[in-house]
Amino acid sequence: MSEIHGAVGAYVMNALEGDELVEFETHLAECPTCQREVVEFRETATELSLLSRTDPPPMLKGSVMAAIAGVRVLPPEEAEGNHAATAPEAVPRQPLREVPVAPTDELAVRRQRRRMRVLSLAVAAVTVVALVLGGFVVSLSQRQPPLASVTAETELLRAPDLKAYTITLKDGGQATFVASKSLNRAMFSSGDLPALNQDQTYQLWTLAGPLTSPTRVTPDALVSAGGAAKQWFTGPIAQSDALAISIEKAGGASAPTNIQGATSF
Amino acid sequence: MGLSAVPSGPGGEASRTDPAPPRDVAGRGAEAARLADLVARSSRGHEDAFSELYDLTASRMYGLVLRILRSADHAAEVTQEVFVEVWRQSARYAPDKGSVLAWMSTIAHRRAVDRVRSVSSEVARDEQYAVTTVVREADHVWEDVEQKMDVERVRKGMASLTAIQREAIGLAYFGGYTQTQVASLLKLPLGTVKTRIRDGLIGLRDALGVEE
Ligand SMILES: [Zn+2]
Repeated sequence: MSEIHGAVGAYVMNALEGDELVEFETHLAECPTCQREVVEFRETATELSLLSRTDPPPMLKGSVMAAIAGVRVLPPEEAEGNHAATAPEAVPRQPLREVPVAPTDELAVRRQRRRMRVLSLAVAAVTVVALVLGGFVVSLSQRQPPLASVTAETELLRAPDLKAYTITLKDGGQATFVASKSLNRAMFSSGDLPALNQDQTYQLWTLAGPLTSPTRVTPDALVSAGGAAKQWFTGPIAQSDALAISIEKAGGASAPTNIQGATSF
Repeated sequence: MGLSAVPSGPGGEASRTDPAPPRDVAGRGAEAARLADLVARSSRGHEDAFSELYDLTASRMYGLVLRILRSADHAAEVTQEVFVEVWRQSARYAPDKGSVLAWMSTIAHRRAVDRVRSVSSEVARDEQYAVTTVVREADHVWEDVEQKMDVERVRKGMASLTAIQREAIGLAYFGGYTQTQVASLLKLPLGTVKTRIRDGLIGLRDALGVEE
């Protein structure tokens, strides 16, 4: 009996497994000493996370807020046989899988799963690739989580075939391309586009075929220069295989001259 | 953007003595009460409250998850799961069972650990990572003096532990390792590791003076 008390630290650190975890949780339900230590040690462990504080990617917040929009808050727990009142186990283990969901929640859950999948797919879509285009190397760096709660954007971001890439542009700045062939939509966004001269503009392009030897290059929307920018592609996206951005003289060009970055999708 | 996780050399920013006094218990209590209020309002469906809760806690949750997973993509995904779970469970948060931060951190830690154990084959695990970075991490540039004081307090608390206690806690908490793995990494018997983790937490609790 006294042996198992000693596992309380490892329990709080989520370092117990299998039989020992079950054994400890059984003990915990009826041991006031361990219950008190679990509460105290959780506070202590939480202080440790001050050491790892890191700002998340800015776009994560939009993603989170979009995700909760379709999720119903669970009602407070019933005091079943006083169990909930005594166990410090206020934190559900793997809750998404185990919390029983009433039939009325089904739709919300499905919507939520769908939103979660969006982010997973976007994550899965990203690989670090380097490719050569027009003589310079485009590196597909880590993707920022997509997002925004605007409806068209949200719809795009929920597309089952969503692809999202963030690249570093040739003259600086980061650009994100988000595309779905099934919706025939794609969007360009950047938080830090370098400023241009007055007689210049950024221009988007859609390409068919391989990036290195495209069979078609179509001029697309213009993007006003400098700072934060967001622009839908006019398309066609369904028939395209790559997206690009270039710097052109004001008014745009019919063929790209100064490509800043591109990505296959 | 520019202030995220830029490492400075050892003996840089973080070790400088600041003139500001340490945060008082009342200030910490007020912050905890604020978070509890935001959770309560979230539980009634107020997304604006949840938005503020996110702002106040995201760097703690994301940083913890990132430290365990060591992959920005996995960390963003798991952090989103954590916040969705916090939203869903907001009506079930029980203030008498601990602070909001502890409740959320427990959810985050558990999810990150679940993830790292399920993908450990694809994530390269640097066994020394957790041990060597536990203390070094605070070298990051903090623009907030209060945060810096808090970090300093925790670093001192960690420094007050024995080396084995510190390493066992670092591997379990930031490394996401099971006690069996910690034992094998530290080449110690399992029973010893278990004891060191608990003793370390007691030492840390006392050093930090975490109040109820
Ligand atoms: Zn006990």
